[in-house]
Amino acid sequence: MFSETVALTGRELKHWYRAKVQILMMLVQPMVWLGLFGQAFPATIPVSTMNGAPDYMSYMSVGQLAIITLFTCMFVGMSLVWDRRFGFLNKLRAAPIPRAAIPLSRVFATVIRAVVAAMLVLAIALLFAHIPGLKGLTIIGHFGITDFLGVILILVLLATAFASIFVAIALTIKQQETLFAVINLVNLPLMFASAALFPISSMPDWLQTVAKVNPLTLAVDGMRQLFFHGSTGIYSLSVDIIGLAAFSAVFITLGIVVAMRSLKEK
Amino acid sequence: MTGYIEVKDLVKVYSGSVRAVDDITFEVMEGEIFGFLGPNGAGKTTTISMLTTLLRPTSGSATIGGHDVVKQQQKVRSIIGLVPQELTVDDELSGRENMLLQAKLYHVENKVAKERIDELLDLVKLDDASDRLVKTYSGGMRKRLELAEGLIHSPKVLFLDEPTLGLDVQTRTVMWAHIRELKESSNMTVFMTTHYLEEADSLCDRIGIIDKGRIMALDTPKKLKESLGGDVISVKIDGEMDQTEAIKAVDGVLSVKKEDGSYRVKVMNGETVTAPLLQGISKNGGKVTYVTLERPNMDQVFLEYTGRSLRDAEQAGSYDKMAMARQMRRSS
Repeated sequence: MFSETVALTGRELKHWYRAKVQILMMLVQPMVWLGLFGQAFPATIPVSTMNGAPDYMSYMSVGQLAIITLFTCMFVGMSLVWDRRFGFLNKLRAAPIPRAAIPLSRVFATVIRAVVAAMLVLAIALLFAHIPGLKGLTIIGHFGITDFLGVILILVLLATAFASIFVAIALTIKQQETLFAVINLVNLPLMFASAALFPISSMPDWLQTVAKVNPLTLAVDGMRQLFFHGSTGIYSLSVDIIGLAAFSAVFITLGIVVAMRSLKEK
Repeated sequence: MTGYIEVKDLVKVYSGSVRAVDDITFEVMEGEIFGFLGPNGAGKTTTISMLTTLLRPTSGSATIGGHDVVKQQQKVRSIIGLVPQELTVDDELSGRENMLLQAKLYHVENKVAKERIDELLDLVKLDDASDRLVKTYSGGMRKRLELAEGLIHSPKVLFLDEPTLGLDVQTRTVMWAHIRELKESSNMTVFMTTHYLEEADSLCDRIGIIDKGRIMALDTPKKLKESLGGDVISVKIDGEMDQTEAIKAVDGVLSVKKEDGSYRVKVMNGETVTAPLLQGISKNGGKVTYVTLERPNMDQVFLEYTGRSLRDAEQAGSYDKMAMARQMRRSS
């Protein structure tokens, strides 16, 4: 089970780093978000609502780490749809491997890609803070190795949950066009009904309720407590992490169950 | 002797009503090349999919090496190799990386795999291109890589689904040579499907003719051709004299049909009867100006057993076009 999953994960990662344009886009995208959206946004949000962030840009940068993770996970399904279309999926189905290795390898590869992407965003955000005239991520207090590992853990859990959801969706839907539509449908509400870009205290009550159970909210809430020491979050850090772990456990199980069903011979 | 592949009363019904495979029973012996010949949509790929555990039979049973294709899937999967109809090799990996991935999926030990990959890439003449990305390969090269992949774990049975579909004549000949070489160098059983008559004729030890999900005939190519009732010698004879009686008097002649100045003579064995036949005619005063010997080919066999020529049957489906389009899309 392990060796097959590793082999297939390797294939996914090779696809990824060989697609040069894709890598370039991955770098450009956060630059655009941080550079345009973030810089131009009027800072009318009261500092007191921003989980200890010194300014909106710092607040939003942490949200960007979670959003780039969501974006990276969204596209995991595309390769599955292609693989089905070209018969690669059938080739895997005819091989003496545990079927679960097929969805698992996609999830693992996506988690690695998402974390790498988020680290790039982090580097850019930290860099922006040191360029005169630009705003970036300003860390409050000491950011040590355990804080860094905490951020990675949160991103891994978040990516696992999202990648599993999108694997399950892609295996169920099978059609490229429909898949795009569904991804778009899921993407925007997930992003905006969360604390990733705006403090939830400014949202109407019903939206707050939704945002509070959004995995994105848990992730940014946890990460902000690590980046901005002494701040209090919506939840405590341990609740954030436990919640995310629960989400990823549920969704990866769901992903595998859906995958087994969809890969089963009819 | 019992078969290595045993198929009994196998049925596959799609969406409740389409009987893609309609109660077929046959055996494939160890070490033989067995071919399924039939037009597109005859049920060839459906049969392969059931034997390779990709589809669940509606009813009936099939075993490979004694393992049931429904109940012992993992065992079956580990002893078979599949070269599917579509090109499924990975564009973004090199030839060697494709092979390595396949080796890992089939649990071939790393050390063994390295040697075997070199061997196989050599066999299919891809050793020079092995480190190039597959997206730079031609269609024929991809197909050969596909064949090499199917052999990575030295399977007991190799399934070839339309191994030469969409290939040009030269590449097709090369594929045939590879398949023959395989048979000579190992005791592998090969189960292949094709809708090329000459392919089935020249490669297969035995052929099953399948049409509309049913096996219409199953035998060696030679016997199938013989079953059509021998060869036909056509002779053109100068002069007004009727030679029918003289021809009938020759040993081995089964029947004679006169059409204008020429005669169609059905004989048991064309090679041995031709000479006596010509002698008989000249003794009777006839002057032969033209003679041809026609041996029955698979086209006639197909016509005989399915009631339609393969070409007519082909036109019923547009699958070929789809397969071509898919390959083009992939290479662009």
